[in-house]
Amino acid sequence: MNPTLNVTITEDQRDCYQEISNVAMGQAADLLARLLDVHVILPIPVVNLLEVNELRMALSGIESTDSVSGVCQGFIGNGISGEALLIFNDASFGDISKLLKYGGELDNSLELELLMDVANILIGACLRGIAEQLDVVFSQGHPIVLGQHVNLAELINANNYRWTKTLAVEINYKIEGFDINCDLLLLFTEEAIEALNTKINFLLDD
Amino acid sequence: MTTPVLICDDSNFARKQMARSLPDGWDVDITFACNGEEALQAIKEGKGEVVFLDLTMPVMDGFETLANIKSQDLNAMVIVVSGDIQPEARQRVKSLGAIDFIKKPINKNKAELILKEFGIL
Amino acid sequence: MGTQSAEDFKEIHSLMGMLQNLDVGLVILDREYKIQLWNSFMESHSGLMPYQVRDKSLFEMFSEINEDWFRHKAESVFLLNNRAFTTWEQRPYLFKFKNYRPITGKAEFMYQNATIIPLGSADGRVERIGLIIYDVTDVAVNRVELKAANDELKRLSRTDRLTGLYNRGFWEECLGREFKRCKRTGSVSSMMIFDIDHFKKVNDEYGHPTGDEVIKAAAEALNISLRETDVAGRYGGEEYVVILVNTSAEQAMIYAERLRKLIEQTPVSHLNQTVNYTVSLGIAEINDDIASHEEWIEYADKALYRSKEGGRNQANVYS
Repeated sequence: MNPTLNVTITEDQRDCYQEISNVAMGQAADLLARLLDVHVILPIPVVNLLEVNELRMALSGIESTDSVSGVCQGFIGNGISGEALLIFNDASFGDISKLLKYGGELDNSLELELLMDVANILIGACLRGIAEQLDVVFSQGHPIVLGQHVNLAELINANNYRWTKTLAVEINYKIEGFDINCDLLLLFTEEAIEALNTKINFLLDD
Repeated sequence: MTTPVLICDDSNFARKQMARSLPDGWDVDITFACNGEEALQAIKEGKGEVVFLDLTMPVMDGFETLANIKSQDLNAMVIVVSGDIQPEARQRVKSLGAIDFIKKPINKNKAELILKEFGIL
Repeated sequence: MGTQSAEDFKEIHSLMGMLQNLDVGLVILDREYKIQLWNSFMESHSGLMPYQVRDKSLFEMFSEINEDWFRHKAESVFLLNNRAFTTWEQRPYLFKFKNYRPITGKAEFMYQNATIIPLGSADGRVERIGLIIYDVTDVAVNRVELKAANDELKRLSRTDRLTGLYNRGFWEECLGREFKRCKRTGSVSSMMIFDIDHFKKVNDEYGHPTGDEVIKAAAEALNISLRETDVAGRYGGEEYVVILVNTSAEQAMIYAERLRKLIEQTPVSHLNQTVNYTVSLGIAEINDDIASHEEWIEYADKALYRSKEGGRNQANVYS
């Protein structure tokens, strides 16, 4: 915790983050649509500055009692660092396995394959979309499995978070005609918000 | 002759970006709308001969707006400007009467190219 | 200009040297999955020289790689121009290499994470892919050991030490879940409670160690007669409980009688003593009047009380 940091975002900045996320998630959805041969329903991304312990509430697309699985992946570049979390409602896996055309029984290890496949696409494309618009380059760490078949609290409270405030972008993807529901969360650290705001102001003043 | 141009997007930032991307020297009168309902109203008031329309918006989204323009036979040339670049989204807006599709983030050349192609500029 | 390109050349030469010495596996594959680049990490761990693998199919050279699986991942990289990550949790390794620490390492082989990156041409088409192989053996082994330790802790926290049955806390959780399931789906399950008749006398006459043996024997009899789906627990000192899933009271009664007779006919031998003992049982089938799983237990307990009143060594259904 750094008491000198007291980050805020203005309404204009929030709007700008939302628009940038909107463009990035569209690019990610396009890749997913092409891989699965489906139409992805695009939501309006939700941008919030929140305390990390409020994270669960930020996940509006998923009920706290749902059984979920998730992965997370760190990224860093040009002074902007954060993590991307992809959280799947476990009820989605049946339909995803059909779409990804994996044979065999839907067990834990197949679910992990599906989770990783979708995470690779959504996280990779979304980060690339954001980086391009901000004119930065992100390095991505290796994804980590947060958990399988747990509830939200178990999934995201297992870690002891060091930073207290985060800029959270929530994108709730659904696929037309299928029972597939997943939440992509992009979380930026407190330090990153300052760097981001500088970048954003540049775009706003342009 | 001044062309009434309507820019419809729920994001203030995106509206500004779009306005900045209009070709230099084009004589326009720009009106802004935050959703489809406001856009339809403006078009009825003659403020949207050329419309730049976003797809994902609250209240009334772009698809619904296009359907309304078509069913009410309103006079507007609609260019969709969207982050939803899935093939199906393009197809849908074309079939709903949009003259073209520009993917976000918008750039100046693309807007000018389309406007020239359709004889607007 | 000449000195500039000489400088560039030197830099590229140094960079190549660094890449060769990087302690990470680097492989480049073409569209047909033929090996185009093979760095020294790959050479050392596989024992194959670059000239031995060059232009050879990855799948022909390394039969341990599941071709369908790898193609599934790699094709999306070719198609979407988007990198893909795989972790040791999906598959422990891509290439079956020995542990980097052959003497003190705990794992036999090298756990690997892999990244598949698109290598494009100028027109954006992906013509080759790069494979980066990381040795994550230590992380993986620690994780696996930690998980085993946590699983064991979880098991211990659910289990009654003496009998190996579920303890009261965990068993009640199970009953709570079964209660909700029945209410939701309308299925019929029963629960049974039983205790050892005159157990205090057993303890007094034969001593506590023998008493413990009797408690274990009853649990064993219960275990033998259980079906796969039944959930048994030790409820108190000499009290036992069972959830009989998808079982009516009538069917539960048959089960209870079988258990009662088995126990009656199986004396316990301990320290040259033989103890004959019996049990009394109570059964309650779920019904609309039962508002909670606690109430369900009370109903079964009332049936058990009737068995005691009726002279012990018998089973009754709550009605």
